Amino acid sequence: MVKTMFDTFSEKKFLLKELVKRDLTSKYKDSVLGILWSFLNPLLIMLVFTAIFSMLFGRQIENYPVYFLSGRVIYDFYSAATKGAMRSIKSNANLLKKIYVPKYMFSISTICYEFINFLISFVILFGVMLITGAQFHLTSILAIVPIFLLVLLIFGIGLILAVCNTYFSDIGHLYNVFTLILMYASALFYPIEIVPAKVQIIFTLNPVYSAISCFREAVVYGVIPDLSTLAYLATFAIAVFGIGVLLFSIYEKKLALEI
Amino acid sequence: MSLKEKIMKLFNKKNEDNLIDADNEIAINVEHLTMEFKITKDKIDTLKEYVIRTLKKNKKEKQKIKVLEDISFKVYRGDRVGILGFNGAGKSTLLKILAGIYEPTHGKITINGKVAPLLELGAGFDKNYTGKNNIYLNGAFLSMEEDFIKEKYDEIVEFSELGEYINYPVKNYSSGMRAKLGFSIATLVNPDILIIDEILSVGDIKFRKKSSEKIRSMMKDGVTVLLVSHSIGQIKDICDKCIWIEDGHLVMEGEVNEVCDAYVKSAKSGKK
Repeated sequence: MVKTMFDTFSEKKFLLKELVKRDLTSKYKDSVLGILWSFLNPLLIMLVFTAIFSMLFGRQIENYPVYFLSGRVIYDFYSAATKGAMRSIKSNANLLKKIYVPKYMFSISTICYEFINFLISFVILFGVMLITGAQFHLTSILAIVPIFLLVLLIFGIGLILAVCNTYFSDIGHLYNVFTLILMYASALFYPIEIVPAKVQIIFTLNPVYSAISCFREAVVYGVIPDLSTLAYLATFAIAVFGIGVLLFSIYEKKLALEI
Repeated sequence: MSLKEKIMKLFNKKNEDNLIDADNEIAINVEHLTMEFKITKDKIDTLKEYVIRTLKKNKKEKQKIKVLEDISFKVYRGDRVGILGFNGAGKSTLLKILAGIYEPTHGKITINGKVAPLLELGAGFDKNYTGKNNIYLNGAFLSMEEDFIKEKYDEIVEFSELGEYINYPVKNYSSGMRAKLGFSIATLVNPDILIIDEILSVGDIKFRKKSSEKIRSMMKDGVTVLLVSHSIGQIKDICDKCIWIEDGHLVMEGEVNEVCDAYVKSAKSGKK
């Protein structure tokens, strides 16, 4: 029987599992607090932001800590996962020059790893909701939709960046600036109402903000997410995903020569 | 012989080959393989530089280097083929293409069977991982399945002779220990094709004997072997056919002793 490497699903699944495990263990290795950092880090950042900005926007936003955290977990996931995927090919260059492994496996595994961190950060969000006496809504289940679309978007962007980063090593610096702009255009820590109406259009064009606002509607406000926002996010995410997969499949074979 | 006859002869030969092809007896078929590497003296690898150079119209022409040019050969099932050539002849590049790491610029490669590439042992080791965890990680890189490794775990540990060191991080291993572990994992699968790049000299004398015995026992099972080595003795010992590559061209292909002798002769005359 003719058999080539990585042509069965279970081989790929096992590789994915091992790669995610490698990322997780290397993150928590040698740190006394271990996995606790995953909880402490966003919690401390939230406390700082709450302490500073609740004085400014406290009256306009009900339950500021939950408002902030709900946006922050989504943005952090987007930012960390796309940056990780961007670096995934280059940081495994040594290996890819010596063994044949489908290169997209590294991008997928990084995104999976960040997704696990994202799920962990939910525990904090729900913890803070409990403490601050926020209401839990049944509509929270609907949050799966914007999260799924966000994952698609991350895959697309991540694959595009991974290819660009192997050809141009300074893409990372540019992308850092870009994500900073994206953060301010996502209304993480201030109410969108303080932005002039003319500028608000930038926010509605920002797919990450679309995901955040849908997520907030479902989890924090207990309403069904705005369908036109969801539709926009879906179109954007599917288009970017398609472009990413196409670009990556064109360049995958050539990448080994560039790294 | 007229040109027409020559062409006719070539044509007939091709037909014969096709017949054998149909029998699925060919393990590796390399047709007109050419591999080019693009190199520039100062590579543009940042966007900033790319934009500046484009604006200044100062883009350096990329130079293409042909590492392999128009190489064709066939390896039949059960053949043990040695690859000879001086440093920089393109042997390792050829093996990397066969292992799927590089995509050839031109030409076609057909491989029938599962390949076990022994190019660099333990290439995927994570140095902070213990030997045990690395067996699983490396097995995953070599496209094994989890249950398979679980089943063979004891066998690997025993073959690697690491004993209780298997529970220590690989960063504390000596290079010999690392190679032994890498060899034990990589040869675990029952491959159809074994691609070996000068790694048979790993470990101490005891392990060297054991590893060559392991390869020999795999050969008995009918595995196809492709071996790069600078040791003529080793090639004559293991292989039955041989390919000689020089500056990216196929110089000679044939029975092992013939090619080895011609190669040694040319190396000697080259020195004078």
